[in-house]
Amino acid sequence: MESRTAWAFLAPSLVLIALFRIAPLIWGAQLSLTDARGITPGDYVGLANYRELASDPAFQDSMSNTILLIATLPVWVCFPLLLAILIHQGVPGGRFYRATYFLPAILSSVIVGSIFNTLLRRDGAVNALLKLAGIAPVDWLGSSSTALISLIVVQLWATFGMSLLIFLAGLSTVPQDMIEAATLDGAKLRHMIWHIIIPTLRPIIEFVAVVTTIGILTSMFGLIYVLTAGGPGTSTTLPEFLIWLELGKLNRPGYAAAISMVLFALMAGLAWAQIRIMQRNADV
Amino acid sequence: MFKRLLSLPMAVIAFTCLYPLFFTLNNALKTNKEYILDRFGLVSSPTFENFVQAWTRSRLSEYFLNSVTATVGACLLLILLSSMAGFALAILRFPLRRLVFIAILASLMIPVQVVLVPFYKTIIAFGLLNTRLGLILSYTAFFLPFSIYLMTSFYAGLPRELTEAARIDGCSYPQIWWHVIFPLGKPAMITLGILNALYCWNDVLISLLVLQNERTLMVGIAALRGEYTTNVPLLCAGIVLAALPIVALYLIFQRQIVNGIATGAVKG
Repeated sequence: MESRTAWAFLAPSLVLIALFRIAPLIWGAQLSLTDARGITPGDYVGLANYRELASDPAFQDSMSNTILLIATLPVWVCFPLLLAILIHQGVPGGRFYRATYFLPAILSSVIVGSIFNTLLRRDGAVNALLKLAGIAPVDWLGSSSTALISLIVVQLWATFGMSLLIFLAGLSTVPQDMIEAATLDGAKLRHMIWHIIIPTLRPIIEFVAVVTTIGILTSMFGLIYVLTAGGPGTSTTLPEFLIWLELGKLNRPGYAAAISMVLFALMAGLAWAQIRIMQRNADV
Repeated sequence: MFKRLLSLPMAVIAFTCLYPLFFTLNNALKTNKEYILDRFGLVSSPTFENFVQAWTRSRLSEYFLNSVTATVGACLLLILLSSMAGFALAILRFPLRRLVFIAILASLMIPVQVVLVPFYKTIIAFGLLNTRLGLILSYTAFFLPFSIYLMTSFYAGLPRELTEAARIDGCSYPQIWWHVIFPLGKPAMITLGILNALYCWNDVLISLLVLQNERTLMVGIAALRGEYTTNVPLLCAGIVLAALPIVALYLIFQRQIVNGIATGAVKG
């Protein structure tokens, strides 16, 4: 009786997840091994799509952009961590800073992208400001040397508040008496950070690092879509945007599915780490 | 002294968080000519013409309605389904319970980008393309695993005596869910409602795929940005209209949002 009720209560959720996530994943894996074109199903071609992918310059660029982004991970973790520690240590106005820093994190990537597009484009506000200061304008979004870095900075602006909030929640679990005892012993703030705060926060730091990396891989679509459209050239194209472009061409679903599978492989390891952490915390 | 000194960089960061938003609001109230002449100055004679134009001529009113429908529909469905699933996973005992929980968590590994092509084909196959129902079901499917995770860990923390007492009083399991467990889930449901409202309202990729004839607000704003590159004040007005509900929600429910996200991320 108990187990029949359980399955009945789970059924609608399981059906939705199976229909929109698990079945499409299997279908996609199968599709990636065919030469499907347009709406014709296509024949089995083995790993031909993947071999083609390996020599596709757009795909190579999207991967090297991803690697570059992931290389900046320490900034994405340390910057909000440092701010969280300062707020936690009672910098005057901490509550105001917490509320303000989090404000960008609630905005849609489309809104953030549109705002920064008006600020950063060639005839935008930032260049107008530079001109006032007598500095030559920079084509932030239109030149391949600055577009990716602009994208990174804007995404950091939009998301650091979220990581900060998670760190603050973690910091509230750091035993306060340890900090007080250390202060009495004359410990400096940086020693306290290094010897008490960081070791206690370790699981939270891991969590933020994993979630940020997943975010880099899968939640920058909206921003790229309005800020740079992947350009100039492929300088801000990430795999998720490349899949969208391939889908837009609509004529090679098998090839687009192959890119998806590569992204899935990247995601799977990371998501597994995240799930392990979540499961440990949920304590079920 | 040291802490005072640190206030300066922190204030600068706070300024960079607020200024882009102020810039947008300030310029939304200017005419295009005023904007071109002076984009930094405080608006002297505010005009609401841009808002009227964006709302009516650029059809943001229609898009707004689409977004509200999809967001409200998906949030209600998510709360209902995740409460049911959370009840089954946290309170009922049945074989494969842990496996089902892990399988649901594992589906977090499949973001929409990974299944873009087949997901799109599935939507077409079920006749859900260009329907609001299709969008509601898609949002539900993609935000469900996290919602179930949160409800399950919330319910797992409830004392077992609650259900046992209700059992002894002769309640059936569905009755226990409806009369005891569902109402008790309220704190977690508020968190979930806020988080999911944020995700649905802010989504662009899923709605680009599913609603192609009509648009949601975010898709509309993205299009507006493409169409009115020379009329920045109009775009700014559109941005303000699209951001307003979320910012208002944030200002009203700041404490719940902040606590909800923090606990949701670290521990359900």
